[in-house]
Amino acid sequence: MGWAHPPGLGLVTANNRHDDATALIARLGAGELTPVEAIENAITECERTNPSLNALIHPRFDAALDQARRPVEGPLAGVPIAVKDLGCEQAGEPHHRGAAFLAEIDWRGDHDSYLYRSLTEAGAVSIGRTNTPEFGTTITTEPAAYGPTRNPSNLGFSPGGSSGGSAALVAAGVVPLAHGNDGGGSIRVPASACGLVGLKVTRGRVSTGPRSGEHRGGFAVDGMLTRTVRDSALALDVITRRWPGESIPTGGMQPWSELLGADIARLRIGVTKGRCHPDCGDAVDAAARALETLGHDVVPDHAPEAWFDPEVTDQTIVMRTVGMARELESWEARIGRPLTEDDVEQSNWWSAEIGKTLSGTMYVAAQTWLRAWARRVASFWSACDLLLTPVLGAPPPPIGHLSDPVEGPGRLRELIGFVDQANVSGQPAISVPMGLSAEGLPIGVQLVAASAREDLLLAVAHQLEAADAFAPLSDLDLAS
Amino acid sequence: MAQLVRSGEATPAELVDEAIARAQRVNGDLNAIIHHLVDGARAQATAMGSGGDTDAPLEGVPFLTKDLMCSTEGDPLHDGNATLRDIDYRAPHDTHLATMFRNLGLVNIGRTNTPEFGLTITTEPAAYGPTRNPWNLDHSAGGSSGGSAAAVAAGIVPIAHANDGGGSIRVPASECGLFGLKPTRGRVSAGPATGEAWAGAAIEGVVSRSVRDSAVVLDGISHEWPGDPYSAAPPARPFATAPETEPSPLRVGICPTSAWGAVHSECRDAVEAAGRTMEELGHTVVEAHPAELFDDEFFDNFRTVIGVSIAAEIDALERSIGQALELERDTRAFVELGRRIGGVEYIAAVEWFQAYTRRMAHWWADHDVLVTPILTEPPPRIGELRDPIRGRDRLRELLHFTPQFNVTGQPAMSVPLRWTSDGLPVGVQFVGASASEHMLLQLAGQLERAVPWAGRIPPVSAW
Repeated sequence: MGWAHPPGLGLVTANNRHDDATALIARLGAGELTPVEAIENAITECERTNPSLNALIHPRFDAALDQARRPVEGPLAGVPIAVKDLGCEQAGEPHHRGAAFLAEIDWRGDHDSYLYRSLTEAGAVSIGRTNTPEFGTTITTEPAAYGPTRNPSNLGFSPGGSSGGSAALVAAGVVPLAHGNDGGGSIRVPASACGLVGLKVTRGRVSTGPRSGEHRGGFAVDGMLTRTVRDSALALDVITRRWPGESIPTGGMQPWSELLGADIARLRIGVTKGRCHPDCGDAVDAAARALETLGHDVVPDHAPEAWFDPEVTDQTIVMRTVGMARELESWEARIGRPLTEDDVEQSNWWSAEIGKTLSGTMYVAAQTWLRAWARRVASFWSACDLLLTPVLGAPPPPIGHLSDPVEGPGRLRELIGFVDQANVSGQPAISVPMGLSAEGLPIGVQLVAASAREDLLLAVAHQLEAADAFAPLSDLDLAS
Repeated sequence: MAQLVRSGEATPAELVDEAIARAQRVNGDLNAIIHHLVDGARAQATAMGSGGDTDAPLEGVPFLTKDLMCSTEGDPLHDGNATLRDIDYRAPHDTHLATMFRNLGLVNIGRTNTPEFGLTITTEPAAYGPTRNPWNLDHSAGGSSGGSAAAVAAGIVPIAHANDGGGSIRVPASECGLFGLKPTRGRVSAGPATGEAWAGAAIEGVVSRSVRDSAVVLDGISHEWPGDPYSAAPPARPFATAPETEPSPLRVGICPTSAWGAVHSECRDAVEAAGRTMEELGHTVVEAHPAELFDDEFFDNFRTVIGVSIAAEIDALERSIGQALELERDTRAFVELGRRIGGVEYIAAVEWFQAYTRRMAHWWADHDVLVTPILTEPPPRIGELRDPIRGRDRLRELLHFTPQFNVTGQPAMSVPLRWTSDGLPVGVQFVGASASEHMLLQLAGQLERAVPWAGRIPPVSAW
């Protein structure tokens, strides 16, 4: 079952199932449909597809329709979006973080996050909150609390994670934009698995306020999953707003959407495939060929020398386990009772148990080591503009593959290995759809730029998209 | 001085020789410079030739670096510590900051005294003895950048390197009658060895006699380097243009008193006089401050984060030199505290910092500048802060106004606007919103014209 493009909208890519946000905004502006109709369409699509996908877990359809009846002027006026149920808090809305103990008491946000305010003040209308693995700590979206989200291209497979609920909704054409966050690939992996554009921004680019000054020791950033590059740029314009009391300074703010389509100099792009499945390697090769055709200088087997240093993982585990212990401790304080092993999924519970035993000096030493590593790899970008790699070491796995309590952790280690580096260094990175697996599942490739150079990522991704180099999406696998 | 070089009136080598001669005249009294780097400085200056055809804005200007961070390959890096002194520890590499100073044309003639690991606001390490204040040798030069401040105040060099993790640029600037700006977090790279110091609380800078010198240096040291974990947005116009341009009318809150204890009348008067001056200059001045300035949870969290950071730093240093460091009593206690703190507790304190930063920032939505004392008293006497019984209480009594802005990462400066009836300098602190150094430098330039201090020369001086 395919989707016909609405006629006469000049959509730029082959993988649009529906309007992207930019096209929808044009139609809204031309009066072809009303903001209420745009939200009604999203709700209709959601009601049709979500029973198969299990992507949206907290609908707010009535509230969304109310908002659409009182339109807010702005660059995203009337655009339906969805928000991941991890961060991006909304006053009075559920905030369960994939955790059963928060679902049981139906924990609600007590304020609008700055990010949510940026989105709504730009006119976007959220239709609800999307599924996430517990605390977003893995790359599939199968929390015990809410069950698995399924990949729209093949319902037997994972949509990736941790922003898998948002990715599945965007890929299914329910909304053109959805919020995600990425502390270890969690925007790029589901973008890859669902055939979307997923930009992880530079550290500090998107405010984590007012509750915090950074996410996960500076590893994690918020962003938006989109179907087109121009939507990524448009969303970035909206979410990169500075708010009072930012702890992390950033530079190089730009009107990102105005940069698209400008001439780009010939870029030097290093490529590494590391150890990956042939389907993922093929996607990287396809991207490399396309970039060469576009006139760029592609250098095979060229990556920062320390890019795959195994000690990076060991040191990030120190920071992540202490971070998990702190996460559970802070929830204990907020919900007013101690948490037990029965409250928390096994992998997160044990992570916290380890984290509790580690000292402050070990945490600081790990952070110092990782920052020194970031310096070692960063000089690569003085001589090269971009690094091209796979996103995952293998195509999207079946549901249950990674969530298996015994085999899952080992399988996880085989899949990752390409995404964490940019979380550690704080550099921006993007996943763009460049391949399909034997099962017809999307496969993305990753481009990594120097700190604050989202402009390069968007420009090159836009070139690839405009050259029709993106892989076409397979048909939706939805029981309807 | 750079103009003398550019116009050919003096060569860099002559300026370096003059600075070395000046150091010889006064350093015996001051104990400001603890490592003389004469040969390297002469070689660097000679290589500059006449210096007439350079783009470096401070070509040939003699300079000093504090013996804490800002290391140069092969030169001593003793952090005020006796063990590092005994083994004559040498830095393995140039820091990015040292490279940027060199690219400005500054010629490093030596390294200046610091308390052990920069942990207090006076410069009296057991390893190297006290640095004395050129305005009165019985008094502290402040700290932790007291060696640099004393050397600049006494006229050995016009500018010297300093860093500030709790007030260590602003306090010695205040006590020695200098200008000292602590830049915004992320303005100056901490590379290549590290990403940030003290969880982002500490940052590099300089102390100088004139505002324009600090401004020119800030342009030169605020480049982003590969692998910096974050970086402050560059200014719209060079900092060097700020001191000579008038600021727009500012909304100013003055806070001459402390919720945590008494403020000496000289320090209070200094703030109130600064308020009156600013009013005369056309700014809107009210008595106001953010409530967060005196948050009672502040110092517990500060001690947790800095204690863990220092303990981790010393652990790494001990591993790298293969032996335990002999530490001063207060340092040892602080390190032991830091080693006892769990990772979870550390993150909780960092989260407290970040929430505090958010709360503090709201005040700056309605104000441009906060004006406070630097310390609650004029410069203390040598020995007061090191007294085994009263020392720690004295630190708590004096330090009420500066470390808050290390935590928030906001820029803050000490401007030498008052001298006490005893002839000791008392600076006034001005704090802007994040990344507002350009405005602060405009204001400092305006104050420098309104209440000039260039003519004030200390009793111990090399002029």
